[in-house]
Amino acid sequence: MNRRHLVRLAAAGLFLFIAWIAWTQNQTAPAELKVNKVRDNLYEIEGDGGNVAVRITNEGVILVDDKYERDHDAIVAAIKSVTPQPVKYVFSTHYHEDHAGGNAKFLPTSEIISTKNARTSILEHKQLDASPNILPARVVFTEETSVFLGGAEVRAHYFGRGHTDGDAVIYFPDLKTIHTGDLMADTSDLRMGTSPTVDYRGGGSLLEYPKTIDKVLAAYDFDTVIPGHGPVTNRQGLATYRDNVVKLIARAQAFIRQGKSQAELARFMQTEYRWAPTSLPQQWSVPGMMTELK
Amino acid sequence: MNRRHLVHAGGAGLFLLVACLAYTQNQTAPPELKVIKLHENLYEIEGDGSNVAVRVTNEGVILVDAKHERDHDALVAAVKSVTPQPIKYIFSTHYHEDHSGGNSKFAPTAEIISTLNTRISILEHKRPNDRQTGPNGVPAQLVFTDEMSVFLGGVEVRARFFGRGHTNGDAVIYFPDLKTVCLGDMMAGASPGVDYNGGGSLLELPKTLGKVLDAYDFDTVITGHGPLTNRASLVTYRENIVTLTTRAQAFVQQGKSQDELAKFMETEYKWAPNSIQQIQNVPGMMTELK
Repeated sequence: MNRRHLVRLAAAGLFLFIAWIAWTQNQTAPAELKVNKVRDNLYEIEGDGGNVAVRITNEGVILVDDKYERDHDAIVAAIKSVTPQPVKYVFSTHYHEDHAGGNAKFLPTSEIISTKNARTSILEHKQLDASPNILPARVVFTEETSVFLGGAEVRAHYFGRGHTDGDAVIYFPDLKTIHTGDLMADTSDLRMGTSPTVDYRGGGSLLEYPKTIDKVLAAYDFDTVIPGHGPVTNRQGLATYRDNVVKLIARAQAFIRQGKSQAELARFMQTEYRWAPTSLPQQWSVPGMMTELK
Repeated sequence: MNRRHLVHAGGAGLFLLVACLAYTQNQTAPPELKVIKLHENLYEIEGDGSNVAVRVTNEGVILVDAKHERDHDALVAAVKSVTPQPIKYIFSTHYHEDHSGGNSKFAPTAEIISTLNTRISILEHKRPNDRQTGPNGVPAQLVFTDEMSVFLGGVEVRARFFGRGHTNGDAVIYFPDLKTVCLGDMMAGASPGVDYNGGGSLLELPKTLGKVLDAYDFDTVITGHGPLTNRASLVTYRENIVTLTTRAQAFVQQGKSQDELAKFMETEYKWAPNSIQQIQNVPGMMTELK
């Protein structure tokens, strides 16, 4: 073999090596999940996708949401780290892939429960950037459902439109804790700030949003709030979030009613609320706001 | 042994024989169950306890109601006779033992679903003991307030609470693709039955049935007890309840006593003195129709 061949062979080898490294970089493990204890027998799993709540009973575990499909093994490991009990039920707060993506992996062994609208939204692929393989709940409710397991109750209620038209708020009555799904979501880590995201395509409504939160505050006695994203907070945190939604509506509505265009609204939301140009709120909310806040 | 002893021995033996016969008579197997086909993949099982509906799908079976606990083996055999699919879900129409008694045997392997009020009525033993023939039903773990659906094998089975009637937790079950409803004991014979202790209401019953008629497109009606029927018969049944209520209310509002009401219902509606209507309805009607 002469020198030219060696050089070519080395170059090919180097190319393959770099390609392999690039490929493995894309195969990174999902972001690590972190388990936080909220109460005795109630944990929260944060990291990659929406916050998951874990309610442990002596007859099995009830989850709220199941992140992305890729997080399944890590979720199961996280649960095993706090209880040997099997996951019997999974409540879905809503249809988005970062909350319901794991359904396919949990369905064989757990009952998944969501609102009827969340099921419809999955089947109709309302989230355009989601995997086409997300599976919906088989068991759905319209107004309210509860699971009673091992002496504990976990209740899910649809209070009205907000983030979508199928948001389930989950209540752990004996632990005075709720899980709001993305009705409350601090997505600072995803560069979307703490303002609400309204999925208009998925039936959400900015005008209904604070009214829906008001109904939650009126209906349930709770201290602790597990939001769809962001740190665990409390009743006051949810009330403040609601007040901020009202202010956002007032400001955006005033702006739109001056006859501004959608591009101008987009720039306004970017300046005032840090909605980055390609962020979900820009894509999902701004066009719908033009119509709804006219 | 003298003759007196023989007579005594004979008498004792006869007594024991009669006692043995009496004992075995009380250990008779439950009455046979009968399977009726309504549609491809929808059956009704009659006999002992409530009517049970059987919705077969290629991912499992959904039942409506579960009869008494003692009927479990026969019920499972009846379902097996029409499909190899396992029973995955059971909707309970209401808490009475002839509908929910079987829950105890099914709970380990099937998800039982009822209204929240039905669960509460089971846990609070709302049914008087003299109406029970077996242990209290095991309540559903999964309950709803307004409406719940199960989607299995491309099929929907929907349960909805439309209001008080037979109890305060009656679930109406709807098979949308088969235009069939199950009314539980909101329709279970010619005369309405109202369990006042279980939150039922004679005044609300026809309103509730009216909501079912408005909400759902159906031809076939599976009753809680008795033969299959249809939408037109339900309309007539509902009108008859309104008429009965109007007449009974006029009677009660004349200041009549409960005994007089009982006799009125016996004369006008053939509610026999020891019938369930007399025991269950009449006292509550005195209060509700005042």
